[in-house]
Amino acid sequence: MGSFAELMHFAERYLPYLAGGFAVTLAIAALSVPLALGWSLPILLCRLARRRWLAGAAAAYIEVMRNTPLLIQMYLIYFGLPLFHVFLSGFMCGVLAITLQHGAFLAEVLRAGVESVSARQWDAARAIGMRSRTAFRLVVLPQALVKMLPPLGNQLIVLVKDTSLVSAIGVMEVTLSGKMIIERTGGSYEVFVAVALFYLTMTTALGAGLRVAERRLAVRFG
Amino acid sequence: MRKSLRRTAVAVLILTALALGGRAGVAQEKSKLDEVLARGKLIVGVTSEAPPFGFVDEKGELVGFDIDIARLIAKATFGDPAKIELFRQGFAARWPNVENGTVDFGIQVTTVYADRAQKVAFTRPYIDSGIVVVVKQDSAIHSLADLNNPKYTVAHLTAPVQEERGKRLYPQAKFVTFDSIAAQFNAVKVGRADAAQLDAPVAWWYVKDNPDVRVLNEWLTDVTNNAIFLRAGDFKWWLYLDTLVAEMRGGSLFSEYSAIYKKWFAQVPPHAKYYLNHP
Repeated sequence: MGSFAELMHFAERYLPYLAGGFAVTLAIAALSVPLALGWSLPILLCRLARRRWLAGAAAAYIEVMRNTPLLIQMYLIYFGLPLFHVFLSGFMCGVLAITLQHGAFLAEVLRAGVESVSARQWDAARAIGMRSRTAFRLVVLPQALVKMLPPLGNQLIVLVKDTSLVSAIGVMEVTLSGKMIIERTGGSYEVFVAVALFYLTMTTALGAGLRVAERRLAVRFG
Repeated sequence: MRKSLRRTAVAVLILTALALGGRAGVAQEKSKLDEVLARGKLIVGVTSEAPPFGFVDEKGELVGFDIDIARLIAKATFGDPAKIELFRQGFAARWPNVENGTVDFGIQVTTVYADRAQKVAFTRPYIDSGIVVVVKQDSAIHSLADLNNPKYTVAHLTAPVQEERGKRLYPQAKFVTFDSIAAQFNAVKVGRADAAQLDAPVAWWYVKDNPDVRVLNEWLTDVTNNAIFLRAGDFKWWLYLDTLVAEMRGGSLFSEYSAIYKKWFAQVPPHAKYYLNHP
């Protein structure tokens, strides 16, 4: 019980330091998720385009982005852009790197969903006189969404956890604030438990939201 | 009569024990110096994790300032810098290793502190250390007073002492925190930060290969001392090593010491005899 009291004392003293970091991590995630989702759509459309150069360019982008570590991309953006006299803040560099890489991953998740919809659905939609754009929007996309939601949720959870990497480019988010407290106090497990619990709460909330969306979509289109 | 005989016997016994004990004490005081000379080589505790003091280079060899100083001691002792065995040890293992004689002495970026001096013996320092500030060569910052300005950003390490120093010495400036020295230095190099706090010898090491960066003359801390450490109580061995360090910093070994210093820090060390340091 003594160690529990110690833990509470520790939490009381240092949680305020972590709170600022929590807010920054939340802000990064809240910005990156919609941006990455938004960015994945044009990649998906290019990847599915009939023009081969466009599809090729999108495929090349996806390969480069998903085959290099996010941490290295962050370093490249953060330490590389100033060479071109572009001084984005560490925060923006982090959001940009996450958007660029996870946009590529998400585009692949979306593509798997779209391609899982039977070609007959396309044919049927065309047969009743829909243009291909309308067919995509009204027939294919809703069916694809139902199928892609579980892997999409997976990818978004990875995205949220990847926000911890911005600690490497000097953004005082929850992981870096945790490291500061560890250097000050020498107590490591208390801090790492607090930080892990925070990520767990965030990803669990995200997962719950996605499950609700899944159920609603299933009711509407399933 | 009997009583006095017994008394005499006891006295003889005590005296014998004392004599034997005394001799045993003398035998234990055989110096490490004699052992080293008899062995014909040094066994030195070093680190491989702290450039430029001790690290593994591109060729996979253990090199660094501390390593070269250890070799210089081997050369001074045996006339051959190769008569040495470099024993890599962690920073926590350095104390037990000198105390139990695994190594003859240790030389691994070790700062002299009072609590350490109670456990092991230190020679006089073989190099000065402390915290300095690096800035870009063309920076307008020339002093700590210049740095204390809201338009400047200073890169710190996650070590909280750096932030506390910053709040005390340049409270107006902005801070940014990194979790590695390399990231801190790079932030200055590409203009992410205007200045960074570094250990003085580490700063000199980086500046040597990066002429676009310079070190402020004004230090953030008092000078600290890096010294050779050895088992406490071996006067002869300690005196020998301390004498060699004195000779390096201001005597017959200065030119060789100076060459090593210049090799790693691209500058000439100050001579221990201040009156020789006129420009």
